[in-house]
Amino acid sequence: MTQFIDMLLIGIGAGSIYALMAIAMVLVWRSTRVINFAQAGMALLSTYIGFELVQRTGNFWIALPLAMILGALFSALVEILLIRTLIKHSTTGPVAGIVPIIATLGLLGFIRATIGFIWGNQDIQIQPPLSKVGFKIGEDTIALSPMNLLVLLTVIGMVLILGFIFQKTSLGLSLRASAYSPEIAQLAGIRVGAIRTIGWAIAGAAGAAAGLLQTVNGTGAVSPDSLEFSLLLTFGFIAAVIGGLESLPGAVLGAVVLGLVLAVVQIYVSGTLVFIVAFALLLLVLLIRPQGFIGAKAGRRA
Amino acid sequence: MLKKHPLFGFILFGVILFLLSNRVDELRVFQGATVAIYVIAIASIILLTGYSGQVSLGHGALLAIGGYAAALSRNYWGAPVWLTFCIAVLAAALGGYLLGLAAARLSGPYLAGTTLALAIGLPSIANQFSILGGEQGLLYDIGLPPTSLGADFTQYKWYFWISALAALVTIYWLRNVMNSRYGRSWKAVRSNDVAAELAGINVGRNKVLAFTVSAGVAGLAGALLAMTISTVSPGAFPLALSFSLATGAVLSGVTTLGGVMIGAVTLVAIPEIVDTVVHRFESSEAVANNLPGLLVSTLLILTVLFVPNGPVEQMRARHEKRAKR
Repeated sequence: MTQFIDMLLIGIGAGSIYALMAIAMVLVWRSTRVINFAQAGMALLSTYIGFELVQRTGNFWIALPLAMILGALFSALVEILLIRTLIKHSTTGPVAGIVPIIATLGLLGFIRATIGFIWGNQDIQIQPPLSKVGFKIGEDTIALSPMNLLVLLTVIGMVLILGFIFQKTSLGLSLRASAYSPEIAQLAGIRVGAIRTIGWAIAGAAGAAAGLLQTVNGTGAVSPDSLEFSLLLTFGFIAAVIGGLESLPGAVLGAVVLGLVLAVVQIYVSGTLVFIVAFALLLLVLLIRPQGFIGAKAGRRA
Repeated sequence: MLKKHPLFGFILFGVILFLLSNRVDELRVFQGATVAIYVIAIASIILLTGYSGQVSLGHGALLAIGGYAAALSRNYWGAPVWLTFCIAVLAAALGGYLLGLAAARLSGPYLAGTTLALAIGLPSIANQFSILGGEQGLLYDIGLPPTSLGADFTQYKWYFWISALAALVTIYWLRNVMNSRYGRSWKAVRSNDVAAELAGINVGRNKVLAFTVSAGVAGLAGALLAMTISTVSPGAFPLALSFSLATGAVLSGVTTLGGVMIGAVTLVAIPEIVDTVVHRFESSEAVANNLPGLLVSTLLILTVLFVPNGPVEQMRARHEKRAKR
């Protein structure tokens, strides 16, 4: 029974961090129709900035929002400098599909190398702000520590804030309208270019939070070549796609489902199989329900 | 004559390579073998891109299938070397066929992301089954070069001969495939799949076929790569390898096989050039570690922004424009 509860807790905990990454990918996809393979690199950069801020201020809870703001600024800068140029130069023909993929991949390599220049290729260590020893229920220690709990609450808080922005504010309305149909939104007086940049900025903030929380929730160690961030990218992508790629609730749902499935595999089968199971889950969803859990029927092949 | 009979060109190039390999030192010979292997792997990505306009981010996984198949057949059945290469091709082609069945339904960024997930997922299987040797991997020993080649014929030169021959044969064959009915069908599917369908081309079957052929070629590259490092392990096929190959394909130009050398040579030359520069200026370790990555990724971004079709296609287009005028 405790094993089952542990599985649920581990699954939801991991899923909550994938959810932030998936949200970042969905936001970027909705605003510019680009899958940002550099999202992991941007999260990594924000994590390093967070590390610097923790060193300077000594307080994780000041560093986290600051790193998110800087992450958002960097992401907006990428949109303005790289993605706009890309759209301006956009080619038609057979290579049009690969241009954004390769550009973001190049950006990923660029960010990693730059981090290596500045901070070196050795691990850096971020101290977790809270204890990572699990709570006790009676005699048993469960797989939920104060740290896990705070990560979970932070993620839930962020998702609620994002949901509020999207559903209740005029900014959210503009974001949704631009994603639904850029031309019509433009005609209705929305400055679609600026809205795109804002979409990227929010994605940058979500990615920054995902990177920092993933790091302190895990070993606390990061390096430019960290496997953790490749996993964050892949699992975020998988979560976003099985959730439908168009919808924010879908991304959260996809991430939690992915987290739970991986937790089941990890606890009942074998830890080394999680990667291939994640791949199999992605394939399965793409083949059986290509529009994702939440998503319109059309548009997945485009 | 070369235009009419490209086979002569390939043979001539082979002879030049053969003569060169006797004149340069061991390190260059080894780098030559690496270039040849990259040429094969990049060509397989270009072939795949030739039908979908889509680059695979997970070709490392297909190379891994080839490498493991070769090592397994060598270690457990004692198969001769040429047969292990054939098995590598068949095993990877089978993997590519299965992946192609799924991939034929995907396009846009979905295929890129799915292949990326495969590249991360597949190597971990090696840790699951003890027959695959876990983290250490398996030995893959093709043995010493035949004694008839002389006593001073080195191991690296033997690797180079095998890889260069494989690369030449592969490119020649792929070139013919691209110019055949299948190649034309793939180009038609790439340009406009609805029109291709109306012209009587079975789009789905052609996509799967292209994926299968591409994977088989990648499997050969994987076996050759395993040969040069004498082992196969999860660490030999990291995500970085998949990214490098995708990079090489883009630098070469993904629409034509003509520039396939450019990407392969760049991938091998950049670390070498950086090494020389770093030694000359006695730069710090951080520079030495990160300058290659920085250069390659900058080159990659500039290429997709300004010559997305690749340098060869760009030059051809310019040439045609001038000829028209």
